[in-house]
Amino acid sequence: MSLSLAWIEWRRLMRTPLAWGSLAICLCLLSWQFLGTLESFSGMQTTHRALGLSHHLSLQIYGLAAVLILLITPILTTRVFSESFRNGSYALLSSAPLSNLTILAGKFLAVVSFLCLIALIPLLLCLSLFTGTQLDLGLLLAATLGLLLLSGCFTGIGLYFSALSENPGIAAAASYGVLMLFSLLDQHTQTSSFIHWLAWPSHYLDLQLGLVRLSDIAYFMLLALFFLGLALHRLDRRRRG
Amino acid sequence: MLNLLTTNQLSRRFHQVEVVHPLDLALCRGDILGLLGPNGAGKSTILRMICGDLSPSSGSVEICGFDLLQQPRQAKRNIGYLPERPPLHPDQTVDEFLTDSGYLHGLNRSQINRAKTAVKKQCGLEQNGRRLIRKLSKGYQQRVGLAQAIIHDPRLLILDEPTDGLDPSQIRQLRELIKELATDKAVILSSHILSEIQATCNRVAILQQGKSVYNGDITPAEQTGYRLGLEQNPLESEITALPAIASAEQLHTDYFMITLEQGYRPSECLQQLLARGWQVSELSPASRSLEQLFLQATSGGLQ
Repeated sequence: MSLSLAWIEWRRLMRTPLAWGSLAICLCLLSWQFLGTLESFSGMQTTHRALGLSHHLSLQIYGLAAVLILLITPILTTRVFSESFRNGSYALLSSAPLSNLTILAGKFLAVVSFLCLIALIPLLLCLSLFTGTQLDLGLLLAATLGLLLLSGCFTGIGLYFSALSENPGIAAAASYGVLMLFSLLDQHTQTSSFIHWLAWPSHYLDLQLGLVRLSDIAYFMLLALFFLGLALHRLDRRRRG
Repeated sequence: MLNLLTTNQLSRRFHQVEVVHPLDLALCRGDILGLLGPNGAGKSTILRMICGDLSPSSGSVEICGFDLLQQPRQAKRNIGYLPERPPLHPDQTVDEFLTDSGYLHGLNRSQINRAKTAVKKQCGLEQNGRRLIRKLSKGYQQRVGLAQAIIHDPRLLILDEPTDGLDPSQIRQLRELIKELATDKAVILSSHILSEIQATCNRVAILQQGKSVYNGDITPAEQTGYRLGLEQNPLESEITALPAIASAEQLHTDYFMITLEQGYRPSECLQQLLARGWQVSELSPASRSLEQLFLQATSGGLQ
């Protein structure tokens, strides 16, 4: 049932100009970054090349892709609950024979599968180089996995704040705030190592460098599950009023 | 007959304020129950509790024998709900929206195609299947909302202010449709408009500040009194002296509210009045029923 709800939500999302607009913008920006990276790499002298092309690509393009996903996710997730609470369309789901868990899982899958499209753009761009050069496919796949995990994690956070507020503006602002906080947590060296561990950029960097570690994967999953759990609790509370 | 809806001491509190006082309802097939009450009387809250959007503070709801809290999935399969604002997705076409609603209620593709054709016909949407919901008028959007609520052929139909924002001819069509649907379902609808309830429902629950102050049948119009206008100004006792008239109450200098003696028809009453030598200016059935019931019930509730 979650899958058919995810399919319904996906179709609804793909009917909106928002989805196609954000895909187009991401494609333009990532292509621009891709061409820029290629240009600067091919202009470099061989002795100055500390890293290979695969690493250059994964750091530059996948870095930008992560930022784009961070910017897009709250816009998508606020629609999911906040806006549907406000315009009354949530009643359609709450009076249907669906549990809150099914509803949450369906909505989560729909948003994540849309973000997957964006997460696959960098891979497609890099694959276009395979006709002329050798690239480290494993590295690129690891970075893509990183983007997928990041999408799930950001979606979890976004969905929680979306379920928390009936005001889409507040929900989006809160999601941005928390996402930025998790991006900045490792900026200061004085703070404890646990707080450092909470920041996503270092975990994502491992994957960008081709390092697939179980601890990093667990980090993204735990963070996503934690916020999804909170969102589920919130939906139950809402039904109880 | 099996009750399609039973509520048992259903109540709801928001922040320690009792919004809905314990309420017992029982509906069978063919019943059209109107929830009548001023705005803020708790009508929507009751409907939201019955459809599972809001859980009750205490009490239980049973739909077709399934407890809404214990077996929500089975119970909700039998509910069709149209909230106050139709829950539509404006970027979809009518067909897409109805297909999705069918999936949400667990229908498969072939069932959906059949049901979609049927509900579009019932709701007068045959010509609008491919139109975007955003582009439809308010009346048509309301029809789409209703179509969404009946696509899975629920046993219990819950309509929150269904005629809100419709024009008179649309209201009449909707009333006909509700009556048609009620032949094999139970319908519960809310309204703050008396005439609405009187025209559509066969039962009424009158609410006042969350309390049910009356819960029962709407008195059929023929059992009520008549409004009698006379050009003379006789005493009440003189009127009741006529064999056809059981009681008379003077409402205005030349208007009376009368009730007829068992077995007498209005024409016989008229003959007797004329034979008495009075000039009758008016003799019309007074729809005493719901309005007085409402006023009595709500003023009683205020005391």
